[in-house]
Amino acid sequence: MGGQLKHIVCAALAALLVPCAQAQDTIKIGVITDRVGPAKPYAEPITEGVVFGANEINAKGGVLGKKLELQIEDDQGKPDVSATMARKLVEDGAVFIMSLSLTPATQQAQTVTLETKTPQLTPSNSGDTLTTQINNPYFWQTGPLGSTQIATLLSYAKARNYKQVALVADNSDLGQLLAKFFRMGLEKQGIQIVSEELISRGATSAEPQMQKVRAARPQALVSAGVLTAENVLMLKAYRQMGLKMPILASYNFSVPVYMSVAQGLLDGVTFVDAYDPDKPAVKQFVAAFKKATGKEPWNLTGYGYDGIHLVADAIRRAGSTDKEKIRAAMQATKGLHGVMGSKDAAYGFAEGKRTGFDPNGMVVRVYEGDRQGRVLHVGLK
Amino acid sequence: MQDFLELAVGAAASGCIYGLLALSYLVMIRPTGVINFAVGEWAMIAAFAGFLLLTGAHWSYPLGMAAIVAFMLVLGWATERIAVRPLLDAGAPVLAPILALLGMLVVFRESISLAFGPDPRQVPYPFGFGRLELGPLAGSYQSFFMIGVSALVFGAAWYFFERTVWGKCFEAVALNRRAAALMGINLSRVTALSFAAGSGIAGVAGILIAPNISAHYLMGVPLAIQGFTALVIGGVGRVEGALLGGLLLAFAEQLTVRYAPVPAGYAQGVPLVLLMIFLIVRPTGLLRARA
Amino acid sequence: MKSIALGLGAAIALSALAFLLGDYHNDVYRKLLLWIALALSYNFVFGICGQVTFSHFAFYGIGAYAIVILLFTAAFPLPLAIVCGVALCVALALAVAIPATRLEGFYLALATMAFAQLFIVVLNEGGAITGGTGGLASYRLPPVLGLDLSGRAYTVVIVLVLIGTAAVLRRVDHSWFGRACRAVRDNPEAAAAMGVDVARTKVIAFTLSSVLAGIAGMAYAFVDNTVNPPIFGLENAFLVLFMVIVGGSGRHAGAVVGTVLLYLLPFILSPLIGQHHALVFGVLMVTAILLQPRGLIGLYDRLARR
Repeated sequence: MGGQLKHIVCAALAALLVPCAQAQDTIKIGVITDRVGPAKPYAEPITEGVVFGANEINAKGGVLGKKLELQIEDDQGKPDVSATMARKLVEDGAVFIMSLSLTPATQQAQTVTLETKTPQLTPSNSGDTLTTQINNPYFWQTGPLGSTQIATLLSYAKARNYKQVALVADNSDLGQLLAKFFRMGLEKQGIQIVSEELISRGATSAEPQMQKVRAARPQALVSAGVLTAENVLMLKAYRQMGLKMPILASYNFSVPVYMSVAQGLLDGVTFVDAYDPDKPAVKQFVAAFKKATGKEPWNLTGYGYDGIHLVADAIRRAGSTDKEKIRAAMQATKGLHGVMGSKDAAYGFAEGKRTGFDPNGMVVRVYEGDRQGRVLHVGLK
Repeated sequence: MQDFLELAVGAAASGCIYGLLALSYLVMIRPTGVINFAVGEWAMIAAFAGFLLLTGAHWSYPLGMAAIVAFMLVLGWATERIAVRPLLDAGAPVLAPILALLGMLVVFRESISLAFGPDPRQVPYPFGFGRLELGPLAGSYQSFFMIGVSALVFGAAWYFFERTVWGKCFEAVALNRRAAALMGINLSRVTALSFAAGSGIAGVAGILIAPNISAHYLMGVPLAIQGFTALVIGGVGRVEGALLGGLLLAFAEQLTVRYAPVPAGYAQGVPLVLLMIFLIVRPTGLLRARA
Repeated sequence: MKSIALGLGAAIALSALAFLLGDYHNDVYRKLLLWIALALSYNFVFGICGQVTFSHFAFYGIGAYAIVILLFTAAFPLPLAIVCGVALCVALALAVAIPATRLEGFYLALATMAFAQLFIVVLNEGGAITGGTGGLASYRLPPVLGLDLSGRAYTVVIVLVLIGTAAVLRRVDHSWFGRACRAVRDNPEAAAAMGVDVARTKVIAFTLSSVLAGIAGMAYAFVDNTVNPPIFGLENAFLVLFMVIVGGSGRHAGAVVGTVLLYLLPFILSPLIGQHHALVFGVLMVTAILLQPRGLIGLYDRLARR
């Protein structure tokens, strides 16, 4: 009884003493997403994860006593609009910007965050060059890097001792970037790429590419493509041409839509994922998300969820909304466990680096029938 | 050689799709001079209709296909009524309906994207996913189905233009609108019919290709560009030209990928270079219109 | 004399506006100015000379990439880099235009469409020279005449590029060459009969408009200090065609009106209706054409006449 009264008195005092300046009552987080362009299929669930995560944080009292306020802008998948939106967010008082759109859009926005010294995070982009092409100390990337993906796949395949593989990609910018880093990873392990194929966006058939693969007789097929329809074309041609070699696929194959659009084609395909459905944190997340929205979350939703939590954690440790302090706190992030990643994976930025996804944190899973099946391998053993 | 024959069936099937789209452009361009770049979006709408009826509601394939084609005919008529008729009646320059149709392209694409979401959807194969061998040739059931249906459509189109009175009307309007009107041909009916037919043909192309490429909201523009390229290669004058252009384009694309000794990235550029050279050497297309 | 005063006045007014705007609005503004420059030059080859081309954005990209590569990879001094960039645009434009003069209507459209797609393939496969799919970034415009031109000062540079483009086009339009272009657009046979060299007119118009696009591209390179392939894609070529026709093709004012409307529309619609803004954009396009087939500039004419 007394405790409750004390609470009421404190709340009343706080309401009287705290000034009524509405503008300072929230911490503004800018979000740049793609609502109408080619990144939409991925940006949509990631944005949902950010919104859900922010609501969860606010329900628990917010950050530094203030609520998080999300300002979501649409860059239409266009890199120069992304830069413009970044300026808008900075002008509107955002202390942190989350980039959920295409890789080149995130990159173009970096010129703005560098100039305005505003912290920027991409929780989902996997292009390795984002932290290297521009030296921007205000930019971090916690998406699953292409180099981590291929290293995890190869670590899984070590026992099979592949010497000759085929590499299949598409002509999207992310697909090309992943192909480049997959190629580097393969060459580093001394594996010869006997056939390198490319499926164009909008192609009606991948049969000539798969015929070339068949003629080169690789021991495995590594897929770096990120366009769903074109990957399905590849799977179809793979079967039509009678190919049997194992498929090692990028994390793009972890996206649930394959289960409905590639039925009958997926059995046995192995892919990297950053999502272990048996992890307790994941089970909690799925349950909470379903309760709040009535929908089942994807693995992509988890990237957004983890992203906003990383941002909130950095601001909390910074103790203020000063951008420089937030930058220092973000760079010092270590050992943060999120939804994404294997059971022991943690986010952290090693000395001087701004990529935060645990290099040991990806898993290799396999499609069993048409369902995403069990985890076969964890990390880089 | 074995590989070539195997590829031939698949390339012919892709070529038929490009040819159907080229034919769709053709039946609208000839009587009206209007280039309708929205044919790709029409194909997309038919693909999604296939997803709704065949995958979702489990209609039988023949019934579903008939329903979709009927729907596409109505859609084509409606498109013409909204975006073309008012402009042609007002005597607007011919670029105006072309632009209005580009606007319709955006409307179609965004409507589908908002209604179905951005993810690709599966459309079922009428004969399953198996493989058929006919002598030295081999291809998927779907490839043979595509070739068969396209042959029917082209046959019907050829028959229409060469042997029926209505076909002659179309030709007359194509040659000289004013003279045709003076001879009592109902211009607006021909225009409406041409758009309905164009939509129906594009719809057939959409249903045929959808099981392979999945129904998704971005599938329209690449198909529209390929169809237009096929049309230009074949020459705008004749039905056979559309098919020929489509086949040539598909074979050039696929044979280049399979056999050209260039790295995969550059192979994308080869059909483009070929096209540019072709246009310089023979700008009116391969087959000339009948005088 | 009057036109110089007009040009100077416009330059001062447009530049002053940049200093009154916040950071975000200034960014939208300067990108809008570049699009207006592109639309004006496109209007010349398309609206005034009647040539349907889709290579305009490819030349925008050629200018942008050229200046960055020449300035930083080849380490040319700035004036030389600009001159070489322009020369490159001229050379490529001639290489495309001279064979293309034989083509009419949609054949020319197709050839220029193929050229634009080929340009993107070259950019993507260009390895270290073009930066591949990631493009080039991390560079800054070196000081010009001791001045550091960034932020608002750079917007003034863009204003000057726009005024310069408009001035050149206006001058050419009012000359005999402009009349020759219109003659070629309206009736090539009659033009030839009157002694106009149709092929040469088309080549010069195409080259001029492409070079102006390339110069705008050079200005673009330093707006975000980044160039990458998606910026110069084919969708933008269609968009500038829309802008010119919706505004009123053949009229400079029409190109300006169309561009301002279509460029700003997504920015205005997006906060209001979220992800539906692209659909509304399409509907507005169709409506605008249906109501004003000759372009929205027709509305202005009607009002002005009253």
